[in-house]
Amino acid sequence: MSRQKRLVQDGILFVVTAILAVVFFFPIFFNVMSAFKSNGEILRDAIALPKGLYLESFKYLLTETRYPRAIVNSVILTALSILLMIVVIPMAAYAIGRTNKRWTNMMYVYFLLGMMVPFQVYMIPLFRELKMIGLFGNLAGPVVIYISGAVGFGVLLFTSFLKGVPVEIEESAQIDGCSRLRTFWQIVFPLLAPCTASMVVLQGLGIWNDFLMPMLVLPSGQAKTMIVEIYYFVGEYVSRWDMIFAGTTMSIVPVFVVFLFLQKYFIKGIATGAVKG
Amino acid sequence: MHWHTKRKHPWKHYALWFILPSFVFYTAFVILPTVGSSYYSLTSWDGISSNIRFIGLENFREIWSSSRVHNAFYNTLLLAVVLVVLENIVALALAMIVDQVRWLSKLFRSIFYLPVLMSGIVMGFIWVILLNYNFGVVNQLLDLIGLSAWKRDWLGDPDFAMISIILSTVWKSAGYYMVIYLAGLQGIPKELLEAASIDGAGSWQRFRHVTFPLLAGAMTVCIILSMINALKIFDQIAVMTDGGPGFETETLTYIIYKVAFGELRQGFGTALGIVLFLIILIVSVIQVRVLRGREVEM
Repeated sequence: MSRQKRLVQDGILFVVTAILAVVFFFPIFFNVMSAFKSNGEILRDAIALPKGLYLESFKYLLTETRYPRAIVNSVILTALSILLMIVVIPMAAYAIGRTNKRWTNMMYVYFLLGMMVPFQVYMIPLFRELKMIGLFGNLAGPVVIYISGAVGFGVLLFTSFLKGVPVEIEESAQIDGCSRLRTFWQIVFPLLAPCTASMVVLQGLGIWNDFLMPMLVLPSGQAKTMIVEIYYFVGEYVSRWDMIFAGTTMSIVPVFVVFLFLQKYFIKGIATGAVKG
Repeated sequence: MHWHTKRKHPWKHYALWFILPSFVFYTAFVILPTVGSSYYSLTSWDGISSNIRFIGLENFREIWSSSRVHNAFYNTLLLAVVLVVLENIVALALAMIVDQVRWLSKLFRSIFYLPVLMSGIVMGFIWVILLNYNFGVVNQLLDLIGLSAWKRDWLGDPDFAMISIILSTVWKSAGYYMVIYLAGLQGIPKELLEAASIDGAGSWQRFRHVTFPLLAGAMTVCIILSMINALKIFDQIAVMTDGGPGFETETLTYIIYKVAFGELRQGFGTALGIVLFLIILIVSVIQVRVLRGREVEM
């Protein structure tokens, strides 16, 4: 193929890709842009760029509504659940991955089974159980549910990653008399960092964006999470699109920023989780 | 801290202690309630009263005969089939484009992935506004290009409401499967494609006989994941249609929520949950059997 023909082909492909990228990006751009327009501006001409930097909707949301509290709740739920997941799940995956006994293999299958069960299947009995032990209607409830729900995915992710981590270092530590617990946290866990990062971003994203469960479990009449409040806004502020756009922008911008810095872990986590199947 | 100080004997039963916390959480808050749901499904419990009445298989009989449930069932299967096909075609196309494009490939990959980062609620809301009858961008664009006759209340018309849910979901999720296909594409040795070229294969033939068979592994994963996600679809519907107009766009996950928390029929809701679970189980088993068969060993 001549160089010129090649260049034309590449050019055409590039233009097609760019058009598709615009189509994919437009709704997001539209959302963020509209957050800086007044309601009148949005209704007059939805496509037009904002005339100036209209910040009233953000101000209103942050001072006059319970949105600030919802932001705090979202941060607490995400951070706490992730932290506890990291304490609990990699250890289990390590024990399963490194001991090849019948009962640990059975545990592996047992943990993976749960990945098939949609939340809607067990939520009703689960809520009753939470009410009985006093975890319904406070922030601890969702945390416990998130950890439990992540066990299957986490064990899958970490055991497949562990296969590529050499055993020799652990063995020599043990010969030196180091306890398993310390061997794990001081030697193995740091080696699992890329895997941990993948789990943090993927589970964190899921928790940050979760809707149904926090809406049902968190106490009514108070601020819940950002996503749940956005859902309520849609009902309450039917014609105040400016307000809703400001709310959604505040929920997606932090995610985009994290993505910008930790992109490869999002991508790797998906690929690892997927290849195992 | 030095290695030699304390314990001479490494924990003998360490595996037990390492697994125990996960086991307790998972058993108490996933398995126990899942098993428990089979009990609640046989009751007419409203979710509040302490008096739970046992009614045998009455709930399942109602599921069998209710036209509202049938509609939700039909919608769920429709969504599953259409979404799997569309999402995988779009994702594969995006992956190939991103893989081939000469400039800004990383940027394009990120842009196609961005919608994956958004919650179904936010994404649904954006589309509610884009599709709004009076002020929405879609109708405005139709005006602009002289197709005013095509304007309509997209989410108020049952057929178009369903199409809108489908297309917006494809927009939201294609990037996720694209990443998996892209990993698959990048695993194909360049020599194979070059050898095919030398043998005189055109670009379609290279795709048909080299790339496509070697992507079977990625495709198995994507089809299974997209199917399971389609069967679980919920957030978009909550914002975009609330199951309406009427009960037209209800899916199984949505009807469970509606009957359990809107109509306080939690026994019935649990029974529906069991049906959904069985569907997912059967579909996954069939898929794994069928799809694994056609994968190529490398």
